[in-house]
Amino acid sequence: MSFILGILLFVAVVGGLDARLPWPKARRDAPRKDLP
Amino acid sequence: MIAGHFGFAAAVKARAPRAPLWALMLACVWLDVVFVPLFAMKIETIENLPGTASGYGQGIIHADYTHSLVGALVLALLFGSVAALRWRATVGAVLGGVVFSHWLLDLPMHRADMPLLPANAGHLPLLGFGLWRWPVASALLELALVLGGTFLYGAAARRVADGGTASRARLVTILILGCGVLTLGLNLLGQ
Repeated sequence: MSFILGILLFVAVVGGLDARLPWPKARRDAPRKDLP
Repeated sequence: MIAGHFGFAAAVKARAPRAPLWALMLACVWLDVVFVPLFAMKIETIENLPGTASGYGQGIIHADYTHSLVGALVLALLFGSVAALRWRATVGAVLGGVVFSHWLLDLPMHRADMPLLPANAGHLPLLGFGLWRWPVASALLELALVLGGTFLYGAAARRVADGGTASRARLVTILILGCGVLTLGLNLLGQ
């Protein structure tokens, strides 16, 4: 039970709330310059 | 060990802020996540020590695939590769490293039940320093990881938070501590 609860609390609740903090972004989709 | 892994992941977030915390939290227990279906299929098992009920650190864990050295490296490589596809390569490397940190943190705790090769091929010596023989010491180590991770995460979150998100940063920090203590407490009670 502690394992399942730990997963739910840390991944879903804590991780979900943390995702709304202004950390630097890690996505690979940096905008590219348009071709002429 | 459960709570200690989450504490370590929180500490990593402070040093690798681009890595999403939810992914770090998932990575730090990925070996155990993969263990669950193998346990359900009786491919990996837990054997209670003679004369004990199942409880904190009172089992010989036959996780011969997920918790073998090579198995952990393979799972870390797979997790890190998928993460590198979604995020940057450096984030993938961090997440892969956190997956493997599970094996390193389990090493001092487990009784000698961690093989080098999957399925304990070759019957090489099993690893594990057995800190679980002293539950107070192992619980204190886990608590130290939770406290250290909370402190480092809290300091980093305060630095990035602005006026509108400072209260959320405090809330997440408090939740890491509270959830860590709760998880450790339940684990100690054998739940």
